[in-house]
Amino acid sequence: MSLFGTTSGFGAGGTGVFGNATTDSHNPMKDVEVTSPPDDSISCLAFSPPTMPGNFLIGGSWANDVRCWEVQDNGQTVPKAQQMHTGPVLDACWSDDGSKVFTASCDKTAKMWDLNSNQAMQIAQHEGPIKSIHWIKAPNYSCIMTGSWDKTLKFWDTRSPNPMMSLQMPERSYCADVVYPMAVVATADRGLIVYQLENQPSEFRRIDSPLKHQHRCVAIFKDKQNKPTGFALGSIEGRVAIHYINPPNPAKDNFTFKCHRSNGTNTTTPQDIYAVNAISFHPVHGTLATVGSDGRFSFWDKDARTKLKTSEQLDQPITACAFNSNGNIFAYASSYDWSKGHEYYNPQKKNYIFLRNAAEELKPRNKKW
Amino acid sequence: MAEGGDVDWELSKENIQPLRRGRAISALHQALSQQQEGDSSAINQQRQAFESELRMYDGDDPLNVWDRYIRWTEQTFPQGGKESNLATILERAVTRFTEENTYFDDPRYVELWIKFAGNCPEPLDIYRYIQAQGIGLKQASLYIAWSEEYENHGNYRKADLVYQEGFKKGAEPHNKLQQFHKALQARVSRQVMLNVEEDDSDEEHTQPERVSLAELKSRGKKKAIAPINRVGSAIRSVHSGMQSHAAPALGNASNSKLVVFDENKSHAGPSEPKLEAWKAPPTSKAKENEQKPGVWCDVKIPQKTKFGHTLMAPPPPKPAFQPFVEESDQPPTMTPCKINPAVNTVLSARKPCREETPLKRLQDHHQQHNEAVSGKLQEQGMYCKELLLSGATEFCFEELRAERYFKKMRQEVGGQKDEASASASN
Repeated sequence: MSLFGTTSGFGAGGTGVFGNATTDSHNPMKDVEVTSPPDDSISCLAFSPPTMPGNFLIGGSWANDVRCWEVQDNGQTVPKAQQMHTGPVLDACWSDDGSKVFTASCDKTAKMWDLNSNQAMQIAQHEGPIKSIHWIKAPNYSCIMTGSWDKTLKFWDTRSPNPMMSLQMPERSYCADVVYPMAVVATADRGLIVYQLENQPSEFRRIDSPLKHQHRCVAIFKDKQNKPTGFALGSIEGRVAIHYINPPNPAKDNFTFKCHRSNGTNTTTPQDIYAVNAISFHPVHGTLATVGSDGRFSFWDKDARTKLKTSEQLDQPITACAFNSNGNIFAYASSYDWSKGHEYYNPQKKNYIFLRNAAEELKPRNKKW
Repeated sequence: MAEGGDVDWELSKENIQPLRRGRAISALHQALSQQQEGDSSAINQQRQAFESELRMYDGDDPLNVWDRYIRWTEQTFPQGGKESNLATILERAVTRFTEENTYFDDPRYVELWIKFAGNCPEPLDIYRYIQAQGIGLKQASLYIAWSEEYENHGNYRKADLVYQEGFKKGAEPHNKLQQFHKALQARVSRQVMLNVEEDDSDEEHTQPERVSLAELKSRGKKKAIAPINRVGSAIRSVHSGMQSHAAPALGNASNSKLVVFDENKSHAGPSEPKLEAWKAPPTSKAKENEQKPGVWCDVKIPQKTKFGHTLMAPPPPKPAFQPFVEESDQPPTMTPCKINPAVNTVLSARKPCREETPLKRLQDHHQQHNEAVSGKLQEQGMYCKELLLSGATEFCFEELRAERYFKKMRQEVGGQKDEASASASN
C-alpha cells in the first residue's frame, strides 16, 4: 500500500532497505536508503526529540510536502504520514515533547502538525517566504520562532493568530538555530545577529561576519556544561567559521576552516569551491558534520581542529542533514540544491535520504568530552 | 509657478538631483508624496519585481531590464542617496557587460557609463577607461559628457580636444556633436573675453608682486630651497581660461631652472589620452590614502635621558603585586541587555581596509575575468555567481528557485483564469 501520493510506495525504486549491491554513485557510502523519499529536493531533516520513544524522522521538500518516517532499530524505515503546504517547505522542527511538528513554507505560512490526530493548522503568517522555524521552550514561556525573507523574526504562541513579538532584522533571514537561551540568525549581506531568549526574546549582539561570502547555514554548539557557547557558520564558498560568543581569547579561539573543495592547491587547475549546505552537531560528542554542494559529507572535531572523515562523492549535492537524539544515526539528503540555477535541474532525477550509523565515526580525536 | 499641486516639487527643489533627460513631473510628484506618506511597501514590491526579473530574464536583451530598473530608481528616488541603491545598481550594470562587445555601441549602455562616471569621485579616469575599452566610440553622447567634465575642471583645451576626437571617430549623431561643440566654443570665447577685460583692469596695479611659480630666493648661508612642483589642478586654476595657444604667459619663461608644467610640450599632436597600453583602468589618484597603515620599521628610536645617555625602552613589566580578583568573579552570563546591544563596536579596532573606489573594483573585476580566461585563477566557486549577485542585492539559491516557482504559479493561475473566463463566456 502506498502511503505517500501516487509515485512511490514501500521500498520504491527497486532498492533494498540495506543499501545497494551495485556501486552506482547515487549511494557510494552504501548507507541505508529511506523508503518513499520526497519527489523533489529535500530542504530540511529533523529527528524526534529524546522525550519520545523510538526515532521518527521528518523531511520537508520542494514538492510542497512534509513526510514523517519511523526509523526502526533494525534500520527499516516506515513511512507514517504526510502533510502539504501550498508552497515549497523550507524548514521543519519538532516540539519538545514530540507531539507536534512545525513546518515553514514559501507560501508565507507556518503550520503546526499534530501527529496524533494527523491534523495541521496554520499558526504563523509572514509577508514573505519563511526560511527557518524553531521551537523555543523557556521556563516561563514556549513559542515558535520564524525567520523570513521579509526581514522580520517573529515569535508565535501557537494559540493566537498574532505574533507575541516581531523583531526587525537588517536583511532577509537565511538561516537560524536555537539552543535555549541562545538564538542565532544569519542574514543576507553577511549579517549575523545573536538573540537571548531569557524572559523574552531580545537582540543580544550583532557580530561582524567572520566569513567573506554569503551565509548559508548555522548551528549552535554547547560547552561541557551543556550550555550554548558559540556557533558554526557555513558560507557559500567552502568555508565554516567556528565562533564563540564570549571566548577568553577571541583571536585564538575563533577560527575558520576550508571544506567542500576539490583537488588540492598544489595542482595547476583552479580549486573548485562548493557551498556548505548544512551543519549539524553530534548531540553527545560535540563533533560536527557538514554537507555540501559537492555531494560529500564530512565530520570534524572543532576542539582538536581536525577532520575526522570525508565521504565519497555522491552524484548530487547533499542538501540537509540531521543527527537523531542519541547520536547513533546520521541522516543526510541527496538532491539538487539549485547551486547552478535552473539549467541543471532535472525533475526526473530521484532524491534520496540516507541513514548512517554515527556512533563510532564521530568520536572526538582527543577525549576532551 | 507654485500652484496648489506643485508645492511639493517647489519645496524639495534643492534635494532633487537633476537628470540629463529631465524628470517626468507626474513621476516626481508621486515619488515625493510616497516618501512623505512613508509608503515604502509598493516601492519594495516594485524593486523586488525588478530584482526577480533580472534573474529570470532569458531573452536576448538583458540590458533592457537593467536600463528600466535604473530609470525607475532615478524617478522613484529623486534625491538619490543610499536608499535608492542607485550607485550600486549602476556599478553592477556597468560591470556586468564590460566583457560583452555587443553592447559597446548601444546608446543605452553608453548612457549607463555616463551616469556611472557622474557618480564616481574621478569621472575623468572613468572616461579614459571607457575610451581604452572601446566603449561608445561612435556615440556623440559620450564625447559630449566627457567634454563637459573637462569643462567643469576648467580645462577648455582638453574639452575641445575631446570633440575633435569625436569628429575624428565619426561619432553619431553628427549634428548633435557639432551643435554642442559650437556651444562649447561660444562659452570658451566668452570666457576669454572676460579674462581679457579683467587683465585690462588689473594692469593699473603696479606694485611689485611676488611672481607666482617663481623660485624663492634663498637667504643667508643656507642654500636650501623648497622645491616647487605645481601639478594638475593647481596649474589649471592659475591658468584661468584658455591659455593654450599662447606660450604660458603667467609662468616665468625667464626662469630657466624651473620646469613649468606645460601641456603643449608633453603631448605630440592633438593631445589624446593614451589608449593602447590600458589593460586595466587607472588606479585612483588619491595615492596618499591607498597605502595600508603598516608597522613602522623595527628601528626603535633610542630614547635619551637628560644626560644624553641612550635608554632602551623597558619591556612592560609584570606587576609585582597580584591583581585583585574577586572570588565571585564569574564569566558574564547572557543576561537581557537593556543598552542598545547593536552598538558593540564603539571602541573596537577598525579593521584596515583598502581604499576602494568604483574604478578600483572595475579594475579588480577586469583582472579576475582575465585570470579566469587565461586559466590563472586559483579558486573558482562552483555555483551560479552571476545569478546570485546579478542585481543590487544578493540572492541565495533558495530565493532563485522560489522566484522561478512563483513565476510558474503566476503563469498557471493566469492560464486557469483564461480558461475559466473562456468557459464562462460560452
